[in-house]
Amino acid sequence: MLRTVSAPSAVGELASGPPSIDIFPVNYSVLLAGPSGVGKFEYFLDLVKQSLEQGKRVIFVTLDIHPAEVRERAKAIGLDIETFEGRTFLFVDCYSAISSDKPELDPKRRMYQVSSFSNLEGISMAMAKASNDLKAPVMIFFYTLSTLFLHNSQQAISKFMQIVTSRVKTHLGFIAYAVHEGVHDQMTINLLRSLVDGVIEARFTEDLRSEIRIHHMRGLRADTSWGLIGGPAGIEARNMTGNALTGRIEP
Amino acid sequence: MSIMTNVEEKSQEKAMTGIQLLDEKLGGGFPRNSTLLLFSEIPAEKRIFAEQFVMAGVKNNETCLYVDFFRAPQLARREFTKFGTYPEDKLIIVDATSSQLLLPCTEKYAIKDVENLEGIFDVVSRAIREMRPQRVVIDSVEFLADRFPEEKVLDFWRRLSAEAREIGSTLCFLFINWTYDSSGISSMRDMTDYVVEFQSIISGGVVRSLMRIEKLKDGGFKTNWVPYTFKDIVGVTVYFPRILVTGPFNAGKSTVVKNLCNTSVNIDRMGTTVAFDYGNVNTMGLEAEVFGTPGQERFEFIFKIFAREVSGILLVVDASRPEDFERAKSMLKLVGPGLPFVIVANKSDLPDALSPQRIRDAIGLGQDVPVVSSIATRGVGLKEAFKLLAQQIIGVK
Repeated sequence: MLRTVSAPSAVGELASGPPSIDIFPVNYSVLLAGPSGVGKFEYFLDLVKQSLEQGKRVIFVTLDIHPAEVRERAKAIGLDIETFEGRTFLFVDCYSAISSDKPELDPKRRMYQVSSFSNLEGISMAMAKASNDLKAPVMIFFYTLSTLFLHNSQQAISKFMQIVTSRVKTHLGFIAYAVHEGVHDQMTINLLRSLVDGVIEARFTEDLRSEIRIHHMRGLRADTSWGLIGGPAGIEARNMTGNALTGRIEP
Repeated sequence: MSIMTNVEEKSQEKAMTGIQLLDEKLGGGFPRNSTLLLFSEIPAEKRIFAEQFVMAGVKNNETCLYVDFFRAPQLARREFTKFGTYPEDKLIIVDATSSQLLLPCTEKYAIKDVENLEGIFDVVSRAIREMRPQRVVIDSVEFLADRFPEEKVLDFWRRLSAEAREIGSTLCFLFINWTYDSSGISSMRDMTDYVVEFQSIISGGVVRSLMRIEKLKDGGFKTNWVPYTFKDIVGVTVYFPRILVTGPFNAGKSTVVKNLCNTSVNIDRMGTTVAFDYGNVNTMGLEAEVFGTPGQERFEFIFKIFAREVSGILLVVDASRPEDFERAKSMLKLVGPGLPFVIVANKSDLPDALSPQRIRDAIGLGQDVPVVSSIATRGVGLKEAFKLLAQQIIGVK
């Protein structure tokens, strides 16, 4: 039986401003690209928060940050990940196994561990198993692709990303990848952008504020104007603006 | 005494996988002195098979060498305990991660610099020569393929195979193809005796693992895709997600399910199955979910639901009731051709029961179709029939 991919059938109209979770269709893939420190992680956390609050199931693949730190930083935006862990939220943890020989092993917080950044196959299988645990459709957040480039060839990563994206889109749900801009050559970034349905860009303004916009979303008509997000450090930015990460803040 | 030595020697000729059904297919296991390639094009569980292979070795008191580029040895050793306890000194791990993580190394063999292929080769070949392992696993080639030029990696493969052959050990490479084109793959196959190919399919959100074994050299063969699963302590087992037990009314299908399976349930009305039987078999390194359908024609819709995605069929007939054979034949037609099946000639203890050959003729089946006499109430013949079916499903092309 053919599975219908529920991409939007009619061309939809997207709201302007920092894209909220509601604009992303199921069975869809996006790339979030921006320089380091611009607030990609905070933006992801906010999407995670929105997803969990709407009862969606979330998988967070972390390569750059320890799960404990993800939990901490989520608390700062008013999200207590632990209350969702094991039920509607799972970590795929590629970080702690390489950072120490005692990865977190708490049976309450079920977690998928991958032994190494070079073990792309393991990462992919862990994502499939985690989705299997939570039951599709799931929202997968991958933070970040850039780390993979330190350990694998571009060719391997591209194939990995292509396979993962197509698996996610046909069977598992939604995936968003983050990638640091300015550390890869433009060809690499272009290649990554070509492998997903939509691209979201984040940048610094001249006065070091962070802006975000949808560059394009396949099958959707997007407002591509820039909207402000939190500053370089999301937590402080939240204090400054009160509500940094949701809703549009007029420049 | 002499018999004992014989058995001992025989078991040492082959490197058994510990998966009974596959070992039988391989005539006891993979030959010593052979090179295996555990291969997949897309992510699949190859490592679990490699670990199973190593654990089957160490539990058989063989020395095994595991070259791990991905895991810290402490982590690897801990993960191996999911196969139960094993003699730890029999497992030699070549540590390739401590140097990457700047951690102290506790293993005898360690690769100091993973960016130096010659250095990697030296450490592995020294470990092979000194420890003389009966099995060697390289986990994995894609780590090397990602760092070194293709011809260098192939050369590494060639030289390592020669080293392993010299001491008569079975060498096993893991490889997921992120990088090579078909010419690279075919050079690898040229240096390989057996390819174990892996596939993982996501259906309905469930990841299913499949493998098949291909013998490349002298009188090669290729098995069908064999579904498998992993259970703690037990290890890797062949796993059939759906075996159908079917047959005409009152042939004894429910009794077959009940007495074949370790656990089973039945939904019946006054002794006749009205919904289905379900059971789980776990025997001979083989696990299966068994579904029994009702035999009456009015329940044919249930039959049709269960007949999807079936691995194989046990067709139960009452050997003493040839008048039901027509119905049995039409049930075979319902599921369509090409599906492995075995005829279970039940109630063969009844006085007017027909012999397997006469049943074969009466239903109009070829000589190669297995017909097994059984007495389901006493469990006679059921395991045999199940095993024959399993062998057929695995098959050899």
